[in-house]
Amino acid sequence: MARKTHDVLSVEWVRLELLRTAYSTRGGLFSRMDPRMVLAWYVLLALAPWFTHNLTVLIGMFLLGVISVALARVGPLVLGLFVFGVGADVIGLFVASFLFGGDLTTLIALAELNLKLGAVSMASMAAFVSLDPEKLSDALLSLRAPELLAFGVSYGYRMLPILVDEYVTVFEGQRLRHAPPPTRGLLGWRVILTWCVLAVTAFYPIMLNTAKNVRTTVEALETRGFTYGTNNPAGRALRLAYLKVTALDVAVLAASALAVVGAYWLGAQFPLHR
Amino acid sequence: MSTQSTQRPAEDARRGTLRGAVDGMRRTELSTSQKLMIFVLSMSLFGLSNIILEIIPDVSLGPIDISVSNMIFVPLAMAALFSPFWAALGAPLGEIVFTDLLMGDFSGLAEVEGYLQMFLAIYIGGSLVRNPRNRIQIILGAIAIILIDKVLSAVVDLGKVWVGVEDAEYVEGLPESMLAIEVIGLGADVLMSGILLGAIPAIWLIPALHGKIEPLMGMRPRVPGEPIPDSAPRTPLFVGVVLLLSVASFGFAFLEAFDLSAGSFEPDFIDRFGNGFLLLAVAAIAVVMIVAIILFRFSRTAVDPAADGTADHGTAAAPTATDTDVDTSR
Repeated sequence: MARKTHDVLSVEWVRLELLRTAYSTRGGLFSRMDPRMVLAWYVLLALAPWFTHNLTVLIGMFLLGVISVALARVGPLVLGLFVFGVGADVIGLFVASFLFGGDLTTLIALAELNLKLGAVSMASMAAFVSLDPEKLSDALLSLRAPELLAFGVSYGYRMLPILVDEYVTVFEGQRLRHAPPPTRGLLGWRVILTWCVLAVTAFYPIMLNTAKNVRTTVEALETRGFTYGTNNPAGRALRLAYLKVTALDVAVLAASALAVVGAYWLGAQFPLHR
Repeated sequence: MSTQSTQRPAEDARRGTLRGAVDGMRRTELSTSQKLMIFVLSMSLFGLSNIILEIIPDVSLGPIDISVSNMIFVPLAMAALFSPFWAALGAPLGEIVFTDLLMGDFSGLAEVEGYLQMFLAIYIGGSLVRNPRNRIQIILGAIAIILIDKVLSAVVDLGKVWVGVEDAEYVEGLPESMLAIEVIGLGADVLMSGILLGAIPAIWLIPALHGKIEPLMGMRPRVPGEPIPDSAPRTPLFVGVVLLLSVASFGFAFLEAFDLSAGSFEPDFIDRFGNGFLLLAVAAIAVVMIVAIILFRFSRTAVDPAADGTADHGTAAAPTATDTDVDTSR
């Protein structure tokens, strides 16, 4: 009857998870904030860890990152990739340094670097997961970023799930129409080769489809005066009029700044160097 | 030269009028919306290919990574079939937007470094393909893209160890072994990304798409021998721009590495120069970037009249709007 979803790590799940991430439908603190303030918050938390080598401060920053990830309700896919990435990084570097004759102090030396990178990555996850494409591109536009960048961000976030979906459809269609390789070969190399060839040949219809879609999109945009509208000050002001800094934004930014200062103060009280 | 010299594909009904011819009344340069189309197409497709690569697990032999870093045939096809400049602007942005921002490993300054290197690689490599049906040029283009991209980042890596900025003291790796690792890694990259998933798919894909994909975007297929829209100019000035942009990308990498472990390397370094040193470095990079961009504008304006002259074969209506067009749309 109802098929149990044992396969959590299926392509479909990844796609849905990406959709949820792209549209930030999980809610969370930062999605209610003004996008420019979220970017400012991100800059604060992304820069703060670089100015110290004090492990106490870095642990504080890392905890701050954990709290903000929890507040932003980051989904399991992105979080899992992050944890896996950091873990693999630590283990890999550790093994490499052992091979070159290091010892346990290496691990502590690595702790500093990984705490820093972890804190920065968590800040970026919390910020960018909470911003839907429209808001992010408007924030970039209001900060005078090039309009192509703003447009690329908003278009990319929107199109990505559709593109991945199309690609999977084409790939599966091709696979169904092909006969499997007669023998698997050593370590299944024939199967891997077939998959690689399919993965590449699937790009041919995808490129043609995407070219068509892109032309439709761009012509629709240009009919509405995309290039001229974004360069026109009045049109720009009209588009960005809804961006307002509220008490929540100020409160979150102030609390984060206080937490950063607090971490530095704690670090000065109980310095911990490697 | 007339539009009739290429066969028009009859598969698609909505091709409309084909724009951008060369004989006097028609133009080789792209219109604003065509530039936007190429940019968006290159961005989406390269982003998609990066997402697919994210799903495939990386294989690494110790410190040497033997995975495929990029499906380089995708931006190469865009550069060879449409315009190297706009394809090169779009592709690295797709990588940043689709994989890095969305997956949460946005890494600040290192993204700028990666963007610059990828842009230069695709721009130069794509400009090498003058005839989209010539397989040798396509192979050369694919390998040039990987070589430029990877050599620039290998120089950055080696430079970090050489200066001792990055934490080299607890890994007993001597510069010689680093050099060996980088060279082997470069070879693996050229083999995997440049040939297996670069040149081999590209020599099939680019001729297959040539003449089919352009009408879908409302453009005329490129004909060998006529000027390529927005290709890399072959002038000494442009070489200067390339060098400056590489220096700027090194600057970003070093700034990051300097932040990372300046204190552990030489504790009194920051005390002596203060954080002003960092600001100085930022200012230097900014100046280099600005000079590079200005020179770039110059090198393009310097080469354009010549290109138009050869294209027109003495017809009276020489297009003059090229440079202003490029400037406003950026």
